[in-house]
Amino acid sequence: MIRKHHQPAASVLVVGGGIGGMRAAVDLAEAGLKVYLTERDPGLGGRVAQLGYMFPTHDCVLCRGTSDHGYGCTRPAISPAFMDHNRHPNIEIMTRTTLKRAEGQAGDFRITLLREPRYVDPTLCTNCGLCAIACPERLPSEFQENLVTRNAIHKSAPRSLPDTYYIDKGDYCEGCNRCVDVCPTNAINLDEEPWEETIHVGAIILAMGYSLTDPIDLEEFGYGRHLNVVHSMQYERYVSRSGPTEGLLLRPSDNTPPKRIAWLQCIGSRDQKHPYCSSICCMYATKEAVLAKQRLDDVHTQIFIMDERAFSKEYNAYFHRSTSQYGVEYTRCRISSIQEDPKTKDLIVQYPDPKKGGQITEGRFDMVVLSVGVEPPSGATVISSQLGFDLNQYGFCQTDKFNPLETSQPGIYVCGAFSSPKDIAETIIDSAGAAGDVMRMFQDKLGSSYSTREYPFLTDQEFPPETDIQGQDPRIGVFSCRCYPTMEGIIDIDGLLEKSADFPHVVHTENIEYGCFPEGLQKIKDAIKNHKLNRVVVAACSHRTHESLFQKTVREAGLNSYLMEMVNLRGFAAWVHPHQPELASRKGLELVRVGVGRAAELEPIYKSSIPPHRRALVLGGGVAGMTAAISIADSGFDVVLVEKDEYLGGNLHKVQFLVEGDNPNKLLRDLVNRIIAHEHITVMTRTMLKEHNGHVGAYHAVLSHHDGSLSEISHGVTIVATGGQETRVDQYLMGEHPAVLTSLELEDKLAYHLEDVTDLKQVVMIQCVKPKEEIYEYCSRICCISTIKNALRLKTVNPDCQVTVLYKDIITYGFREQYYTEARERGVVFVRYDDQHKPVADQNNGQIVVRLQEQMLDRELILEPDLLVLSTSIQPSKGTRELAKILKVPISNEGFFLEAHIKMRPMDFMEEGIFVCGMAHYPKFIEESISQAQAAAGRATTILSKNPFHYGGTVAVVDPEKCVGCLTCMRVCPFEIPRISDEYTGVGELGGAAYIEPTLCHGCGTCTTECPANAIQLLNYTDNQIMVPDFPILGSWVEL
Amino acid sequence: MSDKVFEPEITAFMCIYCGYMAADTASALRIEYPANVKLIKLPCTGKTDTRYLLKAFEDGADGVYVVACPKGNCHHVRGNERGELKVEYTKKILDNIGLGGERLNMYFMSGGQGKSFAEAAQEMTDRIREMGPNPLRK
Repeated sequence: MIRKHHQPAASVLVVGGGIGGMRAAVDLAEAGLKVYLTERDPGLGGRVAQLGYMFPTHDCVLCRGTSDHGYGCTRPAISPAFMDHNRHPNIEIMTRTTLKRAEGQAGDFRITLLREPRYVDPTLCTNCGLCAIACPERLPSEFQENLVTRNAIHKSAPRSLPDTYYIDKGDYCEGCNRCVDVCPTNAINLDEEPWEETIHVGAIILAMGYSLTDPIDLEEFGYGRHLNVVHSMQYERYVSRSGPTEGLLLRPSDNTPPKRIAWLQCIGSRDQKHPYCSSICCMYATKEAVLAKQRLDDVHTQIFIMDERAFSKEYNAYFHRSTSQYGVEYTRCRISSIQEDPKTKDLIVQYPDPKKGGQITEGRFDMVVLSVGVEPPSGATVISSQLGFDLNQYGFCQTDKFNPLETSQPGIYVCGAFSSPKDIAETIIDSAGAAGDVMRMFQDKLGSSYSTREYPFLTDQEFPPETDIQGQDPRIGVFSCRCYPTMEGIIDIDGLLEKSADFPHVVHTENIEYGCFPEGLQKIKDAIKNHKLNRVVVAACSHRTHESLFQKTVREAGLNSYLMEMVNLRGFAAWVHPHQPELASRKGLELVRVGVGRAAELEPIYKSSIPPHRRALVLGGGVAGMTAAISIADSGFDVVLVEKDEYLGGNLHKVQFLVEGDNPNKLLRDLVNRIIAHEHITVMTRTMLKEHNGHVGAYHAVLSHHDGSLSEISHGVTIVATGGQETRVDQYLMGEHPAVLTSLELEDKLAYHLEDVTDLKQVVMIQCVKPKEEIYEYCSRICCISTIKNALRLKTVNPDCQVTVLYKDIITYGFREQYYTEARERGVVFVRYDDQHKPVADQNNGQIVVRLQEQMLDRELILEPDLLVLSTSIQPSKGTRELAKILKVPISNEGFFLEAHIKMRPMDFMEEGIFVCGMAHYPKFIEESISQAQAAAGRATTILSKNPFHYGGTVAVVDPEKCVGCLTCMRVCPFEIPRISDEYTGVGELGGAAYIEPTLCHGCGTCTTECPANAIQLLNYTDNQIMVPDFPILGSWVEL
Repeated sequence: MSDKVFEPEITAFMCIYCGYMAADTASALRIEYPANVKLIKLPCTGKTDTRYLLKAFEDGADGVYVVACPKGNCHHVRGNERGELKVEYTKKILDNIGLGGERLNMYFMSGGQGKSFAEAAQEMTDRIREMGPNPLRK
């Protein structure tokens, strides 16, 4: 039934709680939409939670990835919104949940979910872990990839989200009830049954991730038979600091450090069953080999590889570092089988050794890692028929070239590896983009679910007015959580409270059975009122998990959240000294003493707020800029779109056809028409940015126009989409011989001057041609496909023409592999060269002659083409460096704009409020530019839809009267935030003093300790709050 | 405190990222370590101030150490490296005033390394036990 004026539900279902689903959920929630985040597994985080390190940054994923990034951070990223006591009020997490039925259409879906029980009530579980100790069942741990075992009742990961136990009943749990008997809070109910729940949502985002190829099916590699053959995810667990060995690399057969490790690439990729490239394995194998080199002395690491596909920002440099700095060896071949030496359990592979002129050689290894590929997520077919969207020929979600985040079913979007194999950064881009796409759909509903970041915790609550404590002496209440029975017999809590009562300013002490339960929290609130407390010390468990809960509690009682100090009695005293109760009790008391000393010094802290200017400035009118502008404008906000050329369209004017067959001219027309017609978009062509000042929510820009006039605008966010360009070079006869063209020039001929190509007999195309002055080598990502596209078109119009492609690595990642296969099938010849054996081009009486020392045959190849086509590198647009200076944002080694974090924040600049998309970020395909533009637009919309926008909090503050303007803070700040501001007067009435912008400060405090004049204090960590002059807490312990 | 065995009183500063998380991991996995160490949290080890370290000794600590994120993996990019410079500098001061730079140390570890956290506490306790009490203590 179609209702005429149906009210779209201002809520969204996100299917899949990996990194992609989490990112999309947070952005939607921040834009004021209600989100249901469903996850089939018991915990969030997906594959990324299992990884130890990311390439190419070597960042530990533990911190930046999922679980704890942002705890205590003034600028939270993803996961603080998922911490159990600080969950985003607009996000409802549903674990162990799958889709059962779906009805309705875009804007009005009724989804019935099947919810499997956890058997442990998360609101009652205190994470004491007694149940797991009591559980007699041991099963292989999925999180540790079966390398170790776990109990039937367990946490899915050490820092799982939600942070609570659950029971994997499976066939293992026999219902022995031992866990039920020991659970102190009666949180376990083994009789729980699955139930169904129906939700009403307007849109759906599929973030279902991927499966890994199961190597057990590939018998030739002996996985499952040969002990020392592991797959890459198992290897990841070995080197992860949260893995079974805390990062020690040991070979499974005898637990000794391996001396020779081999990686076999393309296991389940680029084969007949998987005719696509999994996109991530080249880089993760490189990372894994580097980790081995870093951890083990003298280890030999050898990667057997076909092409090294290092096609993203900084990847190529990382790949080169792996050989030059770490000595990782790459051998170009594909291994077909592995034999095991039954005595030593060593593994033997055969390969052509380039050092021996390609002679077949036997290699012996202690350990072999299978670089397993990416397959569609399990359950893809089921959900596609439930929701009625199409899968492609490989079983991944079908998407449209120009609508890369939409499924074939309106109102259902897709992000991450479910649409094609993708790495973390691409997944994050997709997810933020899909969220941005959904925001457009809900323009008038944005902000309808209220939440605020006014406090150090996330909330949708209103609080009573705050008590003014100015001028009051501290009145401290000490509360201890007994967390029965986990500290029983270890910490003498009564004694601890009795002695705490003697500490200065303590006017009240109280023991609470369970501090985190509502009754316990109420006791704290009552005591604050009854005893007129103005500082609170809570001795309970971890700051990481519970600080926001108690901050919220004291705020509910009218105290500023920062007047609460936590002591980790359970984690730092009871649980780590269970056999030394006296010492544990003394340590507990000492920790409370430290807490009391600090509490007396605590001061209220407030965030600042502004209503953001509800306008976006978009720089660049190419496909990325236009897409971002339309997306923001569709969400209901004004956009000023600035283009330095006369026309909108950018590089899209030069793209005439696409390998997939879609029409780029149609995209150009559509985008330009929508821009021109849009009521919210103002276009300014032949205009440049001259000045850019202010901060997120309140920017001010000066624009200069072609006639020399200037105009000014105020806006809340800025999007940089200034693009890139094909380079011209002076090599290979370019500029000397008329038959030497760039790839784009050939494309133009193939589209409009077919007469120039129909008679050609031989065409040579050279890949990876970079200008001599370009020292930093990087992959331009799109050139291999452009070349293949041109070659195929040439073969179509002139089948007899011999086409030879000279390449270093063919970069046809994802489903683009099919065009590489097709080109070879249709007779295009691919010949590899390397940096030591580059092709040389000369001319002989007007005839071009290309020579190349072919390495497989070890023979010189001489070609005499009618046309020589060069794939030259893509560089950032002219003026990128100047623009970066005006915007005060950084530039990467390759010369493109540098985002906040290559993996986790690929569309954000470090400065909140400025975003990047398209080729200004890095060379990319049209669909990738569109995704990133939507991501940037979505992120921008979360800011524009805030009313008001909060910032500041625990940031560094300069006292200008002490500042001598020595610039030390500017030098030491890891984020280059401090600057000298004319608005302040420093020491001795000198004009100008350091200023730290509160919207930008991360609150690390580095500047405060380096300032020679001691002019900077970090709020909540002032010198007095750490050193406590009147009550020494840093040294000797309390006397008993 | 018994007269026979000297039980040192050690202060550990740790960042709220890897340092705190490693301590949390140790507790979640019930890894035991000497109860001689009290833990003070900092927003980042970039906040390690020479004055804080010296104040700890002045207040009577027998040993002090700092627990930071692994190098290259600091939540604040290189706060841990700035912290390390401060620790090195303070060690020299301790040597010069005769307290001994060995009483101060720094550890880098990831949040998952509960065992390493416990080992650091053990190592420092053993070391300070051998060195004896802080001579500034009355």
